[in-house]
Parts: sequence; C-alpha cells; structure tokens
Amino acid sequence: MPEEVEVTIVTVRDIFQDEAAKKSRFSLEYEKLSALIVLDKQDMARLAVKDGQKLLVKNDAGSVIIAVKTSADEAHPGLAFMNNSPWSNQLVADSVGECSIPGFKSIKAKLARMEETANVTPITELFSRMKG
Amino acid sequence: MATCTGCSLLCEDIEAIVTDGGLSHVKNLCRKGHGHFQAVFTERTEPSIDGQKVDLEKAILAAAEILKNAKRPLLYGWSNSTLEAQAAGIRLAEKIGATIDDTSSFCQGLLMERIIAGTIPTCTLDDVRNFADTSIFWGSDPSNSHPRHLSRFSYYPRGDKRQKSYEEERTCIAVDVRKSATAQLCSNYYFRLAPGGDAEFMEAIISVLDGKIPKVADKKKMIELGTLLKKTEYGVIFPGLGMVYSMQDRMDLFERLMARLNEITTFRAIPMVGHYNMRGFNELLREKTGFINRVSFKGGAAAHGPENSVLSAAKSCDAALVIGSDPLSSLPFGTARALSKKPIIAIDPRRSLTTDAAKVVIPSALSGMEAGGTAVRMDGVKIRFEPIIESKRPTDEEILTRIMEAI
Ligand code: SF4
Repeated sequence: MPEEVEVTIVTVRDIFQDEAAKKSRFSLEYEKLSALIVLDKQDMARLAVKDGQKLLVKNDAGSVIIAVKTSADEAHPGLAFMNNSPWSNQLVADSVGECSIPGFKSIKAKLARMEETANVTPITELFSRMKG
Repeated sequence: MATCTGCSLLCEDIEAIVTDGGLSHVKNLCRKGHGHFQAVFTERTEPSIDGQKVDLEKAILAAAEILKNAKRPLLYGWSNSTLEAQAAGIRLAEKIGATIDDTSSFCQGLLMERIIAGTIPTCTLDDVRNFADTSIFWGSDPSNSHPRHLSRFSYYPRGDKRQKSYEEERTCIAVDVRKSATAQLCSNYYFRLAPGGDAEFMEAIISVLDGKIPKVADKKKMIELGTLLKKTEYGVIFPGLGMVYSMQDRMDLFERLMARLNEITTFRAIPMVGHYNMRGFNELLREKTGFINRVSFKGGAAAHGPENSVLSAAKSCDAALVIGSDPLSSLPFGTARALSKKPIIAIDPRRSLTTDAAKVVIPSALSGMEAGGTAVRMDGVKIRFEPIIESKRPTDEEILTRIMEAI
C-alpha cells in the first residue's frame, strides 16, 4: 500500500523552464517543466511511483496535481525540488515573517499517488481558482 | 550589437538579425537569452479593456481614470523596465500618492539594501573577471539563472591578473542544498547545506577563520575551506535567493562574515539579481526617498514599511498598475488571488496570467529589442542600450508619461 509522504519542497531555477516561460507561460512545454516535482529515490519507493506518474501535492495553502521525477542527486529523503512557477506558488503560504518574505524555498507538503489516468493541473485551472 | 535584457548580466555583445520570419545569425545569446529574444514573436499583447480590444489611447485614458479614482493605488513591477521608465513611475507614484514596490521586495532586497548602503563591500563583474581567484556561489546556480556568468566573468575568462584562469588560477565553491549544475562544476568544493542551514554554516566559517574548531559534522573539510579562504587574494561571494531566503533577519551575520574575511584578505559580494533592472529601481528609489522599495507616497511624504510591500499592498490596494511583471504567477496563491480581484492595469509587451486578469492591458515595446534606455547591471554598472527593431509599440516611459498627462 503506497504511503502518504511528507516533504519540504525547495523551489529552484531551471534554464529550460526559464526559456519556455520567456516564449509562453501558456505552452505545454512550460507546463511540463513546471508541473513537476523531483523526489529522492526513497520517497519514490515509499509512494510506489515511477517517473512521469502523477502526485497530488497539498498543504494548507492549496493543492496541485503534478508529475514526478527521480532526483539524480545524492540521497535527500524528505527534500523535494520544484521549478519556481504558478504551480509551486499554489502551495506557498500567504503568511510572512518579520521580513515579509514568503516561504518559497521551504514549502511543507504531503504527497499522495494519483491514479494512472490523472492529468496535471493545467494553468487554466490555476487561473480559474484565482479568479473564482 | 544588441543588449540582452534576459537577466541582470545585460550582455552587450549580442548579434542577431530579427526579421518577420524569426531570429537568424545569432551570436552570444545563451539559451535563456534566445528564449527572451524569441519573445518578440510570441504572446504579444493588444490594448484592451475588460478583455475587449480597444485603441491604445482609450486604454491609456481608462488606466488614468482608474488611478485617478483610486484611494490606495499600488504601482508594482519595475524590475523589467528601464531607468527612464522607473523614474517616470516614481513621479507618477508621488503625483497620485501611491504605494510603489518592485520584485526586490520578496527577492534580493534584503541584501541589496546593504550593498547599496555600502555595509557589505562589493565590486564590479569586470573586477571579478580581472582579479578574482575564488568565486563562491552561495544558494545560487548561475548555470541555470545567469547562464553566461561563469563564461563572461566568474570562472572561465582570462582577466588582467588571471591569465591562467580556471585551469590554474580560479577556484569555484558552491554552497547549496542540492548539487546544482553549478555545484557540479565546483565538485571539489561543494558544501551541502540542510535547508535553512546557511547561518550555521556562516558561523562555522567565522570559527575556522578565528582558528577555532567549527561546530559542523565534517570538520576537516571546513578547515580546508578556511585555509582556502585565507589564501585567497581576491574573493567574491555571489549570494542567490537560497541564501537570502534562509538568512532573512539574520543578514547581520553575513555582514559579520564579510567583515571578518576582509580583515584577512579582499572579499566582495555581488547579489545574483534576476530581473535586468531591479538594482536600477532600488538605486533610483533610494536616491529619491532613502528606501530601496516598499514606499508609500500617501499624504505626500515617502513612508516605508512592510505594509507597503507588494505582499500586503496587493490585498489592501483598491487598484494596481503592474508593469513588466507577472505577480499572479510569482506571488503566493492567496496574495495573487487577492490581487486578481482588484482592477489591474497591466503594462506588458507579452501575455501573462496578470494581463489575462487585468481590466486594462497596455502593450509596450520590449526593452533591448524594440526600446532603448538605460539599466543597472547586477553589479551596479550602468548599461545604455539601443533598440535593434523598429516597433510601433510605445515604450514603458511613453505610456507612463501619457497616463500622467491624462490624470
Ligand atoms: S546571460 Fe542573461 S543577459 Fe546574457 S545572454 Fe543570457 S539571458 Fe541574456
């Protein structure tokens, strides 16, 4: 039975995603490089997922369905990475500390495996949530 | 030669021919810059009100009307505008008693404040190329964020005093929570931190510099680092958001580390600013008000405080002018949601979530390609650039001036 896994997400920059953003934030290429979480092998195993499968990522701030990819880095269980984007920002809490800086690089979230047929949350859905 | 405004390196050696058919004969653009130049052809905005196409004049008048009637207007963005446009924006904020803030408010502002004030010593990127023998990428990953940083300035080039460059004379160190692309280059000197572990790591460096045993797991590696730093002739730290977000209200400690390093040798810091003219806005606003960001002109005099940061003002404003920025993509969801419900005037060459949500959209010329002007590179060097394509679209400065006249 796959577990629910808790991680801290650190947002990062990626040249390929940046390039895609500069061309169009509404493109599939940008979605592919943004709606993505990079996990340690151990966390992948606990969730019983393979590259490309979809996860529900949620916390008190919000939730998104995104694809998963195995990290090529040394072991970092409990630590996940996402390219900074409207998808990661769905999960960033509104409340800020003394310096008024949101926790873009320290997002606590729970991960759960989605069924095979699940699709990533499209940017149009993120926009409707905002305006809705 | 063209200048790329794709990031705050403002590379001035770009060659490209831009025609209706696309980009050709391109030289010196990195992948990110290439995407930036291609933006001329994609997702361009049109003047509109409530999603309906209108002529430019009508959009400008509608924007002026919104701002005139607003009691708590917010003017936000600015980091992707020229100095000339930023100056016009500050004049507009004064005129209408608005709150004005830029992306540095939740980005490099905490550090930039100290750099501009001179409490943290800095230098130019040309000094880095000519003199630096140690570059420390701390919570930054230029291979992804500023792709030509290493080749133009910090690692590969041969400078006046660094003719043997990376083969013999330059060392790069990476301090990061992950082995980023840049960290892979610095593999002998990669220090992995736990998230939020930056302050502890700074304290450990200060300890080894003081000849004490550092309180870290790998004492040997830390002592080696101390030795390397002491032997450095000209060192530069490039702090990225990883470090700034981790340090926040403990930035004094970084100041202390820099002071300690400078007692031993020469060490400078250059914040890895993302947007091409964030620093320009910070310098301009500081000249005018004494503050680099988060200023309100309500009541006439400039007031500064967290209530004027975009994070708060997005919620408390009753209208927002957003220029060259996409806060609905880059702010936390709750804040973006609150802002999206306000009447937004979006001045932008290109479509974004913010232009999609805006009441009024005013298309502008793309700086560097369609519009000339002046900007301040991440290291404080002013760069003047000319457009390489003729465009009918007005510049940010022209739009702001016309809004001001209409008000
Ligand atoms: S490094 Fe930055 S300024 Fe230089 S070409 Fe790349 S995106 Fe443009």
